[in-house]
Amino acid sequence: MKILLIFTVLFSSVLFALSQDRTPNATVRSIHLPDIRTDLKPGEGREKAESLCVICHSLDYIPMQPGFSKAQWAAIVNKMIKVFGAPINEADANLIINYLAEKYGSKE
Amino acid sequence: MTKNLTRRDFIRAVGGITAMAVSGDLGPDVFAAQKRMFQFPEKDELILLTSRPPNLETPLHHFKKRVTPNKSLFVRWHIANIPTSIDLKEWRLKVGGHTEKELLLSMDELKKFERVTYTAVIQCAGNGRSFFEPKIPGAQWEHGSMGNVTWTGARLRDILNRAGMKSGAIDVSFNGLDTGTLPTVHDFIRSLPADKAMEEDVMVAYEMNGEPLLLLNGYPARLVVPGWYAPYWIKALNEISVWPKRFEGFWMDIAYRIPDNPCACVPPGSTPQKTIPIRRMNTRSLILEPEDGARLSLKKPVRMMGIAFSGGFKIKDVIVSVDGGKNWREAKLGRDEGRYSWIQWFHTWVPSKPGRYGLMARAMNGIGESQPFESLWNPAGYMWNKIEKIGITVE
Repeated sequence: MKILLIFTVLFSSVLFALSQDRTPNATVRSIHLPDIRTDLKPGEGREKAESLCVICHSLDYIPMQPGFSKAQWAAIVNKMIKVFGAPINEADANLIINYLAEKYGSKE
Repeated sequence: MTKNLTRRDFIRAVGGITAMAVSGDLGPDVFAAQKRMFQFPEKDELILLTSRPPNLETPLHHFKKRVTPNKSLFVRWHIANIPTSIDLKEWRLKVGGHTEKELLLSMDELKKFERVTYTAVIQCAGNGRSFFEPKIPGAQWEHGSMGNVTWTGARLRDILNRAGMKSGAIDVSFNGLDTGTLPTVHDFIRSLPADKAMEEDVMVAYEMNGEPLLLLNGYPARLVVPGWYAPYWIKALNEISVWPKRFEGFWMDIAYRIPDNPCACVPPGSTPQKTIPIRRMNTRSLILEPEDGARLSLKKPVRMMGIAFSGGFKIKDVIVSVDGGKNWREAKLGRDEGRYSWIQWFHTWVPSKPGRYGLMARAMNGIGESQPFESLWNPAGYMWNKIEKIGITVE
């Protein structure tokens, strides 16, 4: 009987502690986004593309595109710089544009 | 908790090239043979377009249901810092600007407004972008950045009336909790003309299909503008502002614009003279059964089914062709779920001889708007609604 009482008290306090622990989070709803890696094709400029494009978006934006000419890729990279303020200097921008046009170019 | 899943996720060759090989020129022009499937939190396995911010497409077969389950609904975010944790004790919807008073509504207060419910298609402006020729930069959606959801919430009009719009209101802007990773990235803020904001059916929704919104679909509240494209349907909404002048911002003045002419189109590859914000959805239909490239047996009835919808004007009729567009028959429409919902259509036919058949469907809405035989190109790849053509073989 004594053991049962001790057990009950113990069990209730564990339950109480658990409920206390949960109370502050009862109004919170959360998810954890998966960290999905995309590897770009090897080539000169890949490292710059990988380190600078990811400031604003995942790399899967690049292979998703259907394949564009150098002029089209230049327009896209320049939009990132001029419209969205991507911190990419001219030399790096040229490197990235050449890389994208070469590795993710038009599929003619 | 975050895991590198590169090696654990899987790449699947789906549909694409196989379907084209089977149906020859009849198949949709699929830009890539491989689609990556991925399961995000609270979601089914969806087609992964991008992971940060998440852009996930719904596989076509889910659209056979009248209402799209929450887990299957597409996901579309514009800028990378999206809300992944919301504390309802902290969250408030601020309503102010050109109003008599400023409101700071909690979820409990939002739920005290009269509750309204209806089913409405939500569709990304760029749904179908990947089919345009010449190709267009942006999220390369096929048909899956849409869904049909039963939304529940408070009328925007009631909220604005509580705040008291002052006379001379021109625009109402909507901001959510998502932000860019750099201060130079334009915050995703969109606006409605004040008279549109006061229309009866625009709502601040807090439920989808009878449950709280999913975080990836805009929990705890989002704007629902039935009949209009989804860029207006601001997710994780936390700020509504009334403006005594036209609202100006990148996402209204530069992005989400279409050519200012009746077809919202220009010759492929060209630039429009003048543009206007994209607004009401055009009329569309899709064939869901049989699947493109299907091989069916002779003398057995072929059951065709699909969906059709328009920007709030109901579907008047859907006509189908089984001979590549030479002859057309009227399909039978399913249950009417209201003017903003999609409607199912059905047509059964018995092929008389073996061969290849081109199946097509064309919807018309209540004000005579239909679908073109050739795609109507525009520089951003919006409003794809060309008549779809799928190929099947009967043997």
